[in-house]
Amino acid sequence: MLDTVREIETPEGIALRLRAAGALPRAQAWMVDMLLRMGVFMLAMIPLSLFGMGGNGLAMLLLFALTWAYSVVCEVWLGGQTLGKRALGLRVVNADGTPVTWLPSVVRNLLRVVDVLPGVYGVGLVSTLIDPYARRLGDIVAGTMVIHAIELPAGQQVPTLAAVPLPVVLVADEQAALVEFAERSGQLTLQRQEELANLLTPLTGRNDSAAVRQLIGHANWLLGRP
Amino acid sequence: MRQERFVALHSREWDILQSWLNALERQPKRTMQQEQALDFPLSYRRLCHHLALARGRGYSHEVTDRLQRIVQQGHRVLYRPPAPRWHRVASFLVAGFPRLVRAQWRCMAAAAVLFYVPALITLVLMQVRPELAHTVFSSAQLADFEKMYNPANAHIGRNSGTDMQMFGYYVMNNVGIAFRTFASGLFFGVGAIYVLGGNGVVIGGVAGHLTAIGYGGPFWRFVVGHSAFELSALVIAGGAGLQLGLTLLAPGRQRRGPALVAAGWIGAQLALGAFAMLLAAAFVEAYWSSIAALPDVVKFGSGALLWVLVLGWLWRGGRAGTHGA
Repeated sequence: MLDTVREIETPEGIALRLRAAGALPRAQAWMVDMLLRMGVFMLAMIPLSLFGMGGNGLAMLLLFALTWAYSVVCEVWLGGQTLGKRALGLRVVNADGTPVTWLPSVVRNLLRVVDVLPGVYGVGLVSTLIDPYARRLGDIVAGTMVIHAIELPAGQQVPTLAAVPLPVVLVADEQAALVEFAERSGQLTLQRQEELANLLTPLTGRNDSAAVRQLIGHANWLLGRP
Repeated sequence: MRQERFVALHSREWDILQSWLNALERQPKRTMQQEQALDFPLSYRRLCHHLALARGRGYSHEVTDRLQRIVQQGHRVLYRPPAPRWHRVASFLVAGFPRLVRAQWRCMAAAAVLFYVPALITLVLMQVRPELAHTVFSSAQLADFEKMYNPANAHIGRNSGTDMQMFGYYVMNNVGIAFRTFASGLFFGVGAIYVLGGNGVVIGGVAGHLTAIGYGGPFWRFVVGHSAFELSALVIAGGAGLQLGLTLLAPGRQRRGPALVAAGWIGAQLALGAFAMLLAAAFVEAYWSSIAALPDVVKFGSGALLWVLVLGWLWRGGRAGTHGA
């Protein structure tokens, strides 16, 4: 449950990272959809009530469409997002990370019937808590999952300082650690930066803020900056 | 190659692809017609190559995250689902659906038994011991049925309401039941068995009770038209549910996960076909079955014709040698 990222290898040999969405944002998205549908139904009832009994029939057809077809139509035509999911930044994808297609969408929305039992999404909630990718039963049978559509911000830039060549050769992991320290230094307090940099006194031969600057200089050198 | 140089060499290419993808999200149609769309698969795969290089060489997150984001966006575009085609709906209804029903004939037969046997037993029991009607239905329900099928009514099969209203009601009610029958099959088939058996008892009960009290004429005249579509669709939806539950119980030579996904796809197609049948049933029920003035020959003749057509369609539709697929 802690690591909800699912890595999928694409045909290009690249790992695609899908971040599974948990029960809470999905419940919120469902709530938004529900309110929207209720709003549409009530608005539509105003003109439909003028038609008398026949209007009742149209209203029931509308209710049918809103209950059963709304999610499928939205998911297929809006790239895996109902309006509520779009508002919450969620997306339904097939197991291979592509936007959901017709049949899986039909399956997951028909099996909502099972997931809503008992009461309000009891089975679905338990299933999302047990499944490593927070899928409800409908998602498991359809082979789909709901992911966060909004990408995380890209990594921070390494602050530019004059490059300082490394006195010794570091292995790849150590180089990466150095660059990551430089990247994240902007998010750390000065004290924490110095505390971390002081661990590398044997490498830098300095302490405190001088050590921090030298490490960032090394990182600049590793990145190939002048 | 150092990271800075790598970025300097390629970042223009990445920016172009990124801006094209962003434009595609805003204006899909126009952007797809640009000449750049032709280059997209190539430039996307180049970018994937760059990401693999960047990962392999241990470049910083600044680069790998940036490339990863473009790849995520590009993957959605390159592998997007094909546009739905209407002729596939037609060919599914004419050929694919009957074929699928026949492929699942064991579940369909089981569903038919589960539905028709309780229905027939109740129907016969009601003739032998009419007081049993009060065990199955409340007196209010019985009064309702008797009012609906009173031979003195001008419109049979309903208390009030216009054709349009009843059409909407039938669609919502019957299709809802069919979809629930299919979905509840996921509980090891128990839900589907319950709905099939329950509906069998209720439908058999109504038919038996009304026949026993002498209202059989209007009742059979009303139901014969739409019964072909409606009862077959209910059995098919139930069979789809049974198939799903059975796959969960006995997945055969597959792991449960993939077996369930395959069964879900089959079930969804069957449910969609049942939906189309129930639309037809609701149409017949609302606009044809309710007309009381037609002579018996027309009513029962059309009903029999529809049964022959439906069963023939399910039996022969999409066979090799016939056109359709």
